[in-house]
Amino acid sequence: MNMIKYLKSGVAIAASVMAMTSIASAEGSLNLYNWGEYINPEIIEDFSKEFDVDVTLDTYSTNEEMLARIQAGATGYDLVWPSVHMHDIMQKLNLLQPTNVNQMPGFENIDPSALRSKEDPKAEYCLPYAWGAVGIFYNKEMIPELTSWQQFFDYAAANPGKVTMLDDLRETLGVGLILNGASVNSSDKDEITAAEEFILKQKPNIGAFRYDIIPLVTAGDMAASHYYVGAVLNANQSPDKLGFVIPEEGATMYQEDICMLKTAPNTANALKFLEFMMRPDVSAKNTERLTNGSVNTAAIALLPDELKNHPAVNPPAEMRAKLQIFDDLGKSLRLYTRAWDRVKTN
Amino acid sequence: MAGSGAILARKRRTLILLLAPLTLMLSVFFLIPLSIMVIYSFLEPGLYGGVEWNWYPYNYGRILGWPLNDFETFEVIYLKIFLNSAQIAVMTVIVTFLLSYPAAFWVSRMTGARKNLALFLITLPFFANMLVRIYAWLLLLRPTGFFNTILQSTGLIAEPLNLLFTNFSVIIGMVYILTPFMFLPIYASVEKLDYSLVRASQDLGANPIQTFRRVILPLTAPGIIGGSVIVFIPALGNFIVPAFLGGSKVQMTGNLIERSFLQSRDWPFGAALALLIMAFVVILVMFQISRQNRAAERGIA
Repeated sequence: MNMIKYLKSGVAIAASVMAMTSIASAEGSLNLYNWGEYINPEIIEDFSKEFDVDVTLDTYSTNEEMLARIQAGATGYDLVWPSVHMHDIMQKLNLLQPTNVNQMPGFENIDPSALRSKEDPKAEYCLPYAWGAVGIFYNKEMIPELTSWQQFFDYAAANPGKVTMLDDLRETLGVGLILNGASVNSSDKDEITAAEEFILKQKPNIGAFRYDIIPLVTAGDMAASHYYVGAVLNANQSPDKLGFVIPEEGATMYQEDICMLKTAPNTANALKFLEFMMRPDVSAKNTERLTNGSVNTAAIALLPDELKNHPAVNPPAEMRAKLQIFDDLGKSLRLYTRAWDRVKTN
Repeated sequence: MAGSGAILARKRRTLILLLAPLTLMLSVFFLIPLSIMVIYSFLEPGLYGGVEWNWYPYNYGRILGWPLNDFETFEVIYLKIFLNSAQIAVMTVIVTFLLSYPAAFWVSRMTGARKNLALFLITLPFFANMLVRIYAWLLLLRPTGFFNTILQSTGLIAEPLNLLFTNFSVIIGMVYILTPFMFLPIYASVEKLDYSLVRASQDLGANPIQTFRRVILPLTAPGIIGGSVIVFIPALGNFIVPAFLGGSKVQMTGNLIERSFLQSRDWPFGAALALLIMAFVVILVMFQISRQNRAAERGIA
């Protein structure tokens, strides 16, 4: 079912993008380079109609992939969606240009706590886009209620091979760090080694390190999976069967910002798009599709109840306090890559 | 005399002209990227991907144990991953061989339309995208998938077997995608097999095992060797099958190389790993060729 849904939405995106590119009399164009499945296609359509702009959308699946392409000299894109730490990197590498988005109408809607970039604390460059927790997506027929990482690993110990974790070195080692009470941005060799040993100890019980798990959890092949809050879309479609939770010990979170590239060919349209994205109704429409945290305080009021009141989508303050975001680690990243190589091999 | 010289020169010109496109393609799309890889493998990794232009042979030290500096330590895990990949690749070669060899004899004995149909069926899987076919195996092998459902409903097993995300599922996936590459070369040499030689050995009193070992096997050996090489090499470097069917718990060198480039931002290390695999494969093939040449010389003598 889910495969079909994904295929359908893929076709829908492709079709809408093609429809847009065929508008011949457009005022101009705008080229977006975003994560796959990370914007509501209707929003692109709305923008395209309202401003009579040809919009194209290309997608990537990791920050590194996007950076590598931009660094290799890919031009033609106007806006990109880096995670906050990648936003910092790109700004340091002089790949972005200022937008003064903080002077635009609508910026008063943006939650000041969403200005997470260290290089761009006043949002002179990029606009905060969306954020979300990385928690556990689970099948309620196998685990009626899941609340903690402890319970997740206990279940795995009793039912080896029935849980998965992400195939991402910082996310998965991050869980080890959180459970040992350390920061997910630790550069301390001993803390990272302890996290490595923790994950390694769990490894025999973990079925797979994998991103694409929604069909497996939905079918009951897997009971629980370390996954992004976007799975709430599926959980809300069958709330009796599926659930998503931010574990009580804490979790990691992501946030992406929309940034304008230095090489952007259509700066005027890009700025219009940033302003458009700050409208509460547009932002809410996008959040309904992405089912993740909103950075737009005025938009939250417009969300349907099952999102507004969802403790993983719109977590209460005490839960937000337990979420950690990744920083750029610079050279210390190698401590993680090597620990991860050992986890994967041993 | 002058006439034959002119013909020779013209022949050479034609040859150069005919080979030029291939030579150009190989040098642009193979030699240049290969040189970039060799150079990168001796440079320092850049902080955000890419390279720093400093001499840095320690990427090899991490894998092989020498040379090392203060930052880089030798880790035996990289050799372990490599051995594990080689093991999976060898298993793949063995299983594809066991499947293809008898099938090749069977198909070669068919006639007319049936034979064409059989050959068509063997190449049929190429018509569908590989990712889709691998994904289909995931659906077949998973706990609520086809095999487990059948086994459970017939009462052979009580609990679903863990077929997915194991070495077993990786080898199944590899065998599935690589069998045609083993079959076709073997089929070509089986098709050429001269049955009068088989009958001659029978007439001369060889029993079936002797006939097979001394006549049929040596005559089809070129196909077996060719098939083994073109199955072994892609199996060794594959990263899609272990990522999908191994759940990234089964790890092969291809996965490590992919991760070095995309997650670890360590291009030189990825380049060093890729070159070591290539060196290993080249040595293996050279060894095989020299053995074949020696065997051929013995044959003439």
